[in-house]
Amino acid sequence: MSGNLLELNNLSISFDTPKGEVQAVRNVSLQLKPGEILGVVGESGCGKTVMCKSVMKLLPKNAHIKSGSIIVDGEDITDYNEKKMRQLRGGKLSMVFQDPMTTLNPTIPIGKQITEAIQKHKKVSNEEAKARAIELLDLVGIRDANERFKLQPHFFSGGMRQRCVIAVALASEPKILFADEATTALDVTVEEKILNLLLDIRTKLNLGMIFISHDLGAVAKVADRVAVMYAGKIVEIGTAEDIYYDPRHPYTWGLLSSLPALAKKDGELNFIQGMPPILIDPPPGDAFAVRNKYAMAIDYEKEPPMFPVSETHSAATWLLDERAPRVVSPVNLRKRSALWQQIQ
Amino acid sequence: MKSKKRNKIIKKTIKYVILFVIAMFILSVVVFILARLAPGDPLQAFYGEALDSMNDEQIAAARARLGLDDNLFVQYFKWLGGALHGDFGLSLKYKMKVQDVMGPLIGNTLALGITAYIVVFVLAIVLATVAALHEDDLLDKIICKVGTATYYIPPFWLGVVLVLIFSVNLGWFPSSGAYDVGKQNDLGNRIWHMILPLIVMIASHFWYYAYMIRNKLLDEFRKDYVLLAKSKGLTRRQIVWKHCLRNVGPTIVSIMAIAIPHVISGTVVVEAVFGYPGIGNLAVESAKLHDYNMLMTTVLLTGAFVFFASFVAQAINEQIDPRMKVTKEIRW
Repeated sequence: MSGNLLELNNLSISFDTPKGEVQAVRNVSLQLKPGEILGVVGESGCGKTVMCKSVMKLLPKNAHIKSGSIIVDGEDITDYNEKKMRQLRGGKLSMVFQDPMTTLNPTIPIGKQITEAIQKHKKVSNEEAKARAIELLDLVGIRDANERFKLQPHFFSGGMRQRCVIAVALASEPKILFADEATTALDVTVEEKILNLLLDIRTKLNLGMIFISHDLGAVAKVADRVAVMYAGKIVEIGTAEDIYYDPRHPYTWGLLSSLPALAKKDGELNFIQGMPPILIDPPPGDAFAVRNKYAMAIDYEKEPPMFPVSETHSAATWLLDERAPRVVSPVNLRKRSALWQQIQ
Repeated sequence: MKSKKRNKIIKKTIKYVILFVIAMFILSVVVFILARLAPGDPLQAFYGEALDSMNDEQIAAARARLGLDDNLFVQYFKWLGGALHGDFGLSLKYKMKVQDVMGPLIGNTLALGITAYIVVFVLAIVLATVAALHEDDLLDKIICKVGTATYYIPPFWLGVVLVLIFSVNLGWFPSSGAYDVGKQNDLGNRIWHMILPLIVMIASHFWYYAYMIRNKLLDEFRKDYVLLAKSKGLTRRQIVWKHCLRNVGPTIVSIMAIAIPHVISGTVVVEAVFGYPGIGNLAVESAKLHDYNMLMTTVLLTGAFVFFASFVAQAINEQIDPRMKVTKEIRW
């Protein structure tokens, strides 16, 4: 055992569709340690959710693991069948979904939905399960848990429902929590509170968490490490400081530059030209090349490997090759990094 | 708290009783007028062939005697007055009081209809759940194919075939009637007579509902909360039984409420094929022969059934899903 809670080794996931094989996740490797929050960012359709669901094995029937392995807590679960997976789901693995308005069963009281998860994995009496559920509701910050235990989800606001979903996810003391756009559907003030809650839970329970989002701000707030995904691949991974203040991949530059805070002088937002590629027959070479103004000839021919930048930081771009011309990150990003270093 | 709740129930009951009276009143007026607007002569039903040999005077006298020459208003209120006192008038075809014609037959139809109704829905829910659990597997496909096939077998043909096989050739079941002569109090004998008609009724109805419930369940299974339930580690079976079926519950109950008149009126064909004495035939005949009073009674009876069923369905649905409660706050 390497002390990693979760290890993905060269994982590739494909969907069989009538139009061909969609390579949703391509050759992804990452590690997650206990008590660590890994943020995963990227555009819609870049494989963030598929990656998480593949670990939970919640993907539809036409998806399959093409290569690579998934190791949870030292156990290789790549070939686990449904029965074995059910032990893991809600056991070691848990997931919080995007839309709290629809992820709770509307007709079953909140409390029952939590005790159900508890009793699925532990043989406890109804009273014990109830006590534990109320404890969980307290933990996620639902006041008057005793009373609200009996209420159906429609009595709750969106933020409270997401708290309940988190309570459900925590019911059986998971080791890894996937938060799949857990705050995207919430308004910003509520989002802040939920993010604080996730941080709080992480410290209390020493969970490993994978936090998927396309909100760079939210990721910056919670994540210890950040992985940037593009077209099914991780293009840059490192600590949050590495990614936010010393990004190396042109795609990460593009993402960060499009933050409203870094808008152009006239207030126009920066953006990345073009669209992500369709993942049926992905282009050879670097999938980002066509949208990359720093692209070189080799980017269209050969896929860049992961170049280590530092011990914690690596990025997949030919710009880091020693033969490549020196290219510096966009000026607005450099200014920001300088500012940050001053504060330090 | 408790007395408040009781007050609420009383209020609700009163509300529904008033609604019931209004609904029945409107229904009776509409049916009354429609029946009389339809072309045809009720005297035909009363006198049959003899009508041709009657002269105008006799016909006018007959009309006056049967109260058919009053204007609609008078006719309606005469009928209403009688009905409120439990007298639903004279059946023009049978020349007896409507309740005397229907009395002995209604039990037969209800026994057949209600048994069929219960079996149809138990079967429909079980098959729908099994099919949904095995979505797109062989079992699901077999259930769907066989179900669709049975649904499209015409009931009158199935009835005749069943009679041919089980009565004529094998002699296991009687081919007609509701009981053997002199055995009308023998429950076993009645059940024995009911089996073939029941099979026909069930075969012609269950798949319609089963398929509806199956698809509804599958819709439900695509919802987000199923993902959360799955990520808790629940099995597909647990999710379908504990989560989906419960959420489909209101739909099933509503379908069941609507299905009551449907299934009961389904007895018409069966009654005809098996010579089963029931009111299904009466209803059809009364419409055909302008047997006004009989028509009114059968329609109102069905209407009352539907009303009562939807009332019960609403109450059950509120229990399953409290969001369905009709509250004062909701205005449109």
